[in-house]
Amino acid sequence: MSTADKLMANARYVWTCWKVNLAAAMEYRLSFLLLAGMMFVNNAIWLFFWSLFFGRFPVVQGWELHDVMLLWAVSTGGFGWAAVLFGNFPRIAGIVATGHLDVYLSQPRPVLLSVLVSRSSVTAAGDFLFGIAVYLMVGDTSLRGMLLFALGLLISGMLFIAVMVVAGCSAFWIGNAEGMTQQLFNSFIALTTYPSDIFRGFVKLALFSLVPAGFISYLPIGLLRDFDPLFAVGAVTAACGLTLAGTLLFRRGLRRYASGNTIAMRS
Amino acid sequence: MDGESKRWAVAGRKAAAVGRIAFRHQLAYKTDFAMRGFFLLFILFVFIQLWSAAYEGDFSKSISGFTLKQIVWYLVFTEALTLAAPPLCSRIEEEVKNGDVAIRLIRPQSYAGYHFSVFASEALTRFVVHLAIGSAIAWPFVGPPSFGYGWLGLLALSAGALTVTFLLLMIVGLCAFWVEETSGLYFVLQKLQFTIGGMLLPIDLMPEWLQRVCAWLPFQAALYFPARMGVHFDSTLLVKQLAIQIGWIVLLGLAVSRMYRRGVKKLHVNGG
Repeated sequence: MSTADKLMANARYVWTCWKVNLAAAMEYRLSFLLLAGMMFVNNAIWLFFWSLFFGRFPVVQGWELHDVMLLWAVSTGGFGWAAVLFGNFPRIAGIVATGHLDVYLSQPRPVLLSVLVSRSSVTAAGDFLFGIAVYLMVGDTSLRGMLLFALGLLISGMLFIAVMVVAGCSAFWIGNAEGMTQQLFNSFIALTTYPSDIFRGFVKLALFSLVPAGFISYLPIGLLRDFDPLFAVGAVTAACGLTLAGTLLFRRGLRRYASGNTIAMRS
Repeated sequence: MDGESKRWAVAGRKAAAVGRIAFRHQLAYKTDFAMRGFFLLFILFVFIQLWSAAYEGDFSKSISGFTLKQIVWYLVFTEALTLAAPPLCSRIEEEVKNGDVAIRLIRPQSYAGYHFSVFASEALTRFVVHLAIGSAIAWPFVGPPSFGYGWLGLLALSAGALTVTFLLLMIVGLCAFWVEETSGLYFVLQKLQFTIGGMLLPIDLMPEWLQRVCAWLPFQAALYFPARMGVHFDSTLLVKQLAIQIGWIVLLGLAVSRMYRRGVKKLHVNGG
């Protein structure tokens, strides 16, 4: 089978998984709408808090309410598409530690891809729609603006997936890393929803290196408001580099994986 | 001792015994404590950065009666109270779903009373631990919590605040007797506490119209009252806020009692 054939076969597999995930979510239509709607309301309440905050402090380190709204649009939108299409990315540590990787190893598809696409987060659909709604409310809807926003969503979603894949791979070496990666996940999400400029010194440096949440939280300024080519290139490089690193790390980790002989069905 | 007071004394001893067991149970889950502690440290660090940026690092500036130091300690108190509450709604929901509620109902202790004993024991332990963790990060950044009798005010109002929180959670949890799934309602309650309860922003900093709305709701009694009193002690206001808390406890207590009596008649448990 040539590389092009393999790629096509994988693309067909991913497409089928997405269709099955959507059909499963639609089986409980009311529950789907309620959960997605709740996430939409959750995000809206956070923006309500920010509107109260900026009502008192109109400009904080150069950030205005408009910028924070776009930050939420990019962050929730990016997280939304990532969790709808590749919903297992925050759960890799648990899957590895509990031996549930066996199910995916038996399938004739790339293991990491298979793990990622086998689940779709229902609530994340609300996040994605929220991101789009906020962008349509306050964003630049010219063609250039839309393309930049789409790039922002792509970078943001890729970083969410890549960071959690890298963190999840730690389970191959240290075993039960579920609690630790869950904390990292929550902290990473929190960091992507606060203006990056409130942090200074070492913490700010860490935001653009160790915990690359800064590449998401600076997107409204560096990509959407005052396009900074250097930042844009840095963000794209970070997203692609971490995705590659996550893939390689997972492949390396698989060599250490010891099966738990778990008999399970994908549901 | 007459029959009635004997009955109350026995109920008190049962509640204390359940509370002791819940306390010991908590000590067994040190990792859980450590995880919550880490998250508290992290979120307070982010808040300190945010408010320092908003005040431009100026410790003398006062906005709506709050200096930077007071805001940061206010957030330590609201976070400590918020994270103190155990997941009561999900516990009741699980009991209804898996049938464990049948075991609870036949025990010689009131259903709400049992949950209150567990809640009080867990919440008080967590509150003290979270206060210590919160102080560990706030102190180096903004200095010691030297607010006169503030600590006294905080402690005086915290017991009532946690009771109001318990009753609000109980109302949502008891909805499981009718609808089974309460996560959506809990979610709404949580967000109301975050915003109009004053967890993220003192109510004094909100617009006038919203402050008037908040004054008529129970959420401020659960977070804002003790946290504000902690950084702004006022003995006259303390008495008024204690009275408001008692009023809400009576009102919400009646609602819980009525809901329980009606809900338990509707409950059908198979097995358990």
